[in-house]
Amino acid sequence: MTATWALILDAYRDLNSKKLFWLTMIISGIIVLGFAAVGIDESGLSVLWWKLGDFNGNLNSNTVPRETFYKSIFSQFGITFWLAWGASILALVSTAGLIPSFVQGGAVELVLSKPIARVRLFLTKFACGLLFSALQVAVFSLASFLVIGLRGNSWEPSVFWAVPLVVIFFSYLYSICALIGLLTRSTIAALLLTMVAWFGLFVINATDAAFITLRETNQMNIERIEKSVEKGEKFAIRQWQQVWITQQSKQLPEGSDVPVPPVPSTMELDDSVPSLAENRRDLENARSNQRSWEKWFTMVVGVKTLLPKTGETIGLLERTLDKEMALTGRADDEDEDEIANQPPGKANKVRFGERMSKKDERELGKRVELRLRSRSVWWVLGTSLMFEAVILTIACWVFAKRDF
Amino acid sequence: MSVATSATTSTLHNSSVHSLRDEWAVDLRGVEKVYKGKVHALRGIEMRVRRGEIFGLLGPNGAGKSTLVKILMTVISPTKAEGTVLGKPIGHKPTLAKVGYLPEHHKFPEYLTGAQIVDFYAALAGVERAERKKRTPEVLELVGMREWANKKVSGYSKGMRQRVGIAQSLATNPDLVVLDEPTDGVDPVGRREIREMLTRIKEEGRTVFLNSHLLSELEMVCDRVAILVQGKVKSQGTIDELTVKRQVYEIEVATLGLDGVEGLVGALEGRRAATMLAGKVEAMPLGTAQGALVAKRVGIRGQLASGEDVEIDHAMIRVATIDAERVQPVLDALRARSYVIKSVRAIRPSLEDLFMEAVTDPNTGRALGPGAKREASSERGNP
Repeated sequence: MTATWALILDAYRDLNSKKLFWLTMIISGIIVLGFAAVGIDESGLSVLWWKLGDFNGNLNSNTVPRETFYKSIFSQFGITFWLAWGASILALVSTAGLIPSFVQGGAVELVLSKPIARVRLFLTKFACGLLFSALQVAVFSLASFLVIGLRGNSWEPSVFWAVPLVVIFFSYLYSICALIGLLTRSTIAALLLTMVAWFGLFVINATDAAFITLRETNQMNIERIEKSVEKGEKFAIRQWQQVWITQQSKQLPEGSDVPVPPVPSTMELDDSVPSLAENRRDLENARSNQRSWEKWFTMVVGVKTLLPKTGETIGLLERTLDKEMALTGRADDEDEDEIANQPPGKANKVRFGERMSKKDERELGKRVELRLRSRSVWWVLGTSLMFEAVILTIACWVFAKRDF
Repeated sequence: MSVATSATTSTLHNSSVHSLRDEWAVDLRGVEKVYKGKVHALRGIEMRVRRGEIFGLLGPNGAGKSTLVKILMTVISPTKAEGTVLGKPIGHKPTLAKVGYLPEHHKFPEYLTGAQIVDFYAALAGVERAERKKRTPEVLELVGMREWANKKVSGYSKGMRQRVGIAQSLATNPDLVVLDEPTDGVDPVGRREIREMLTRIKEEGRTVFLNSHLLSELEMVCDRVAILVQGKVKSQGTIDELTVKRQVYEIEVATLGLDGVEGLVGALEGRRAATMLAGKVEAMPLGTAQGALVAKRVGIRGQLASGEDVEIDHAMIRVATIDAERVQPVLDALRARSYVIKSVRAIRPSLEDLFMEAVTDPNTGRALGPGAKREASSERGNP
């Protein structure tokens, strides 16, 4: 353990000597101070002594409880934007040189000539690289914990889940950075290629999110068309039967009972309500599209399973903090009466962009969120850590076998 | 540089070293290293370093010296190797706790102070905190860096970095100290101090394995040396053993007289002390190592009655022998002809001469090219 502690202490001294480390810490401090300066009450938002209003009654402590407001700022802005992006980029810039400088000629000989196994040496050095991120998140989380407690009157220890989650998130990237740094012995190459890899992961995540959105949109359409077809059929049956009864009444002697009308065939229904046939064709097309989306979606998920899930790892923190925001039930259940009263016609499909209604937007958002949250913690963390383990195994093997 | 007190010396001393003196500190057999691209850096190194001696490793650039040192320190894995370091097989990691090492062109973290460097590398070697706290100032004192102990390395000169480097190599109380170019970048005063330091380290019972280009320095401090050329040990032994083979006695007479050189020939042949060859030859003086920067001379050569080569070069007679007794008939012959003998000296080649001989191609008379040999296509099957 003497050697391990020596490496950890050395890593701390190295970080301590870097201006960027302290700059990041100062920015974190400013963000937390800004976080503390924002207030919310019945009259709306305020920053220090300035009242910003309640934005037409949408944002005050009655619509958004104080603790939810602060937790939301912490997870959405503090973690997602600052720690997962801003601070992580600065952490990468600061630590990208750790492995290349460790393996440069003149330095590595001194360390390799000590009675420490190479694998242990490399993994300890890798863990030391995570120290930057760990210290930053720990300080930020502690400060945020105090702000949420003092300003939001909610002492929320789950805030500290940010420490392992952000460190794990950073470790995915840092494992790539360490491997490239080891192979190339260049800080610039390690940094740039890690950024490229990160961008690649971002693209895959974005593709995944896009496929989920498209699939859910299509699913919403299928459900709406199905309802429309169902209602159209009921309407058509009623209309056809009324016509049949009227015709039968004319043919029967006055006073005699009209027989129970038969069930019309699909063709008869479609003939009676032309939009019904169109809806049936739309339903068939939408189902066919859904099968196609499923195929692509499965492929993207398959690729994603093999790679680190950066966004979803950070998303786990929101899951932890946002337990009360249970996303259950479907928004379209509320539409039952509204659709029932509509005259039969073409189904009201979900459309993208400006044409999407606020209601559709909300429902789609909920469905996508539900879909993302349905992914297990094991899938998010386990498979990502497996990727990291593979990268580190390769790096350890290279480090153990290489002549320096 | 301050001199360590005897008390400090005794604290650094490891008594167990003495009990193991009869063993080899380094015993290498058939060490080979082939790098990628079939570069054969080492070709069956056979080398032994006694415990408690200062051993010098010489060789031109690319001879494989650093590769060999790195193999000892497990920085490089050998293609093939047998042998031991401090009695344990090469590559035995725990043994490295007893080996101090200063690599060539070392780079210490710039954010550390001298004391932190010594402490850090000692900690990596597993030295406990209390022991490090005690030893760090001692070794910094030994290398004359105590006053600079708390200054950052970024402010150190090259010589100061070397001293701190040597200090860190001693911080683990090692039995074997491997120093790769320890005087690199050090001024003459500093070099002298480092030499004194090496002698003290030896006096403490430690073995010093020194890799250096500075032949004169090695000559001054090394008990034994090995000359490495193109991945092979060309020669090894004590400097005495290596130089004695080329020893000559130089006998200088005060004046040649009217007969000149012929008078000397007559004197030696008259007393049957030697048989001289007819005619003069232009050659390097007798005893000169091949490759040495010495001008050719015109002289007469022959053989003593006892078989040793002899050369008359103007007023100088050279006899190639290590035995002073063999020179006596020559002196008697000269005195018999009333020559005034100005001086009689035993001359040995310098380490530099031996080195140059080792690195000179006997066929061309030119220095062998630097760098390790690339494997010929016929050797591709070799490891």
